[in-house]
Amino acid sequence: MLSYPSNMVFPFLPGRLVSFRDGRLLLELVYSLMDSESIAEDRQQTNTSLAAEIEDVRLSRKGDSDAYTRLIKRHQSHISRILWRFSRDKLVHEELVQDVFVEAYMSLHSYRQEAPFDHWLSRIATRVGYRYWKQQARRHETESFSLAEWDQLPDKSPDEMDAGRAAELLHRLLGQLKPRDRLVLTLRYLEGCDVAETARRTGWTKSMVKVQSLRARKRLEKLFAQAGKELKR
Amino acid sequence: MKNERFLEALAARARSESPPAVDVAGRVIARLSAQQSRIERMAEKPLLWLAAASSAVAVPAVIIAIMVYNASTGPLYEISQAISWVTQ
Repeated sequence: MLSYPSNMVFPFLPGRLVSFRDGRLLLELVYSLMDSESIAEDRQQTNTSLAAEIEDVRLSRKGDSDAYTRLIKRHQSHISRILWRFSRDKLVHEELVQDVFVEAYMSLHSYRQEAPFDHWLSRIATRVGYRYWKQQARRHETESFSLAEWDQLPDKSPDEMDAGRAAELLHRLLGQLKPRDRLVLTLRYLEGCDVAETARRTGWTKSMVKVQSLRARKRLEKLFAQAGKELKR
Repeated sequence: MKNERFLEALAARARSESPPAVDVAGRVIARLSAQQSRIERMAEKPLLWLAAASSAVAVPAVIIAIMVYNASTGPLYEISQAISWVTQ
């Protein structure tokens, strides 16, 4: 049995003897109460920002540019992050971010508030990025990448590699694939999306995402195999 | 050749990269207002064409009307009117 000072840990139990197990349970209770309070506060904050966002969407639909500016400022870093996977050229990247918000404004009437606004925006961003890749492919503008360069990478864990260099390498490597394959692998590898999220972002079905991922991986392996043969020659 | 696990590890490393900071709000609003005014101008264009077409039709119609009016009040017309009254 442990005796807690009446005025310290449990001031609501003055001078009572509390067993260690009871004490631990009470502590857990106090912590869970504190947690639930902070969760409630977080939830309240989220609700407030969500309500503000819905209001801004409503005002934007009526043509309030200040409301739309607020929406852009709130979501531009998220959209910028998504589109940085589609183009690593700063000028093109910024142009694509702009395109997303212009396109979003034009189709704002179709936003039904069933999903969070940033989910809706990320779908548009993926579409804009994919369209950019398709245009690039049509113009045969693929970024150069030698698989010998890839093979020369040290075998040690890439954790020590600079994040920017890792992203750049992957970007150029996946750039050797067709836009469709590139999209699914970028979302799965680089964005870390699961099948459901990839399906939501691309507008494809889950089974289509699975099939497409499999095909894209095979094509990537084929690319590696071809490069391996070339390197051996 | 590096295996898929290496690729995944590389992707995980790449995910921690932060993209360049952008502030596109001003430019987006400018593009939207430019687009809006272009749309408004485009909306005005059919009306302009309609106005031009109606005036193109109206001007000859007025000319013909004046000519008919002048012809109908000429001396020859009055004589023919008088003859038709006598023959009745």
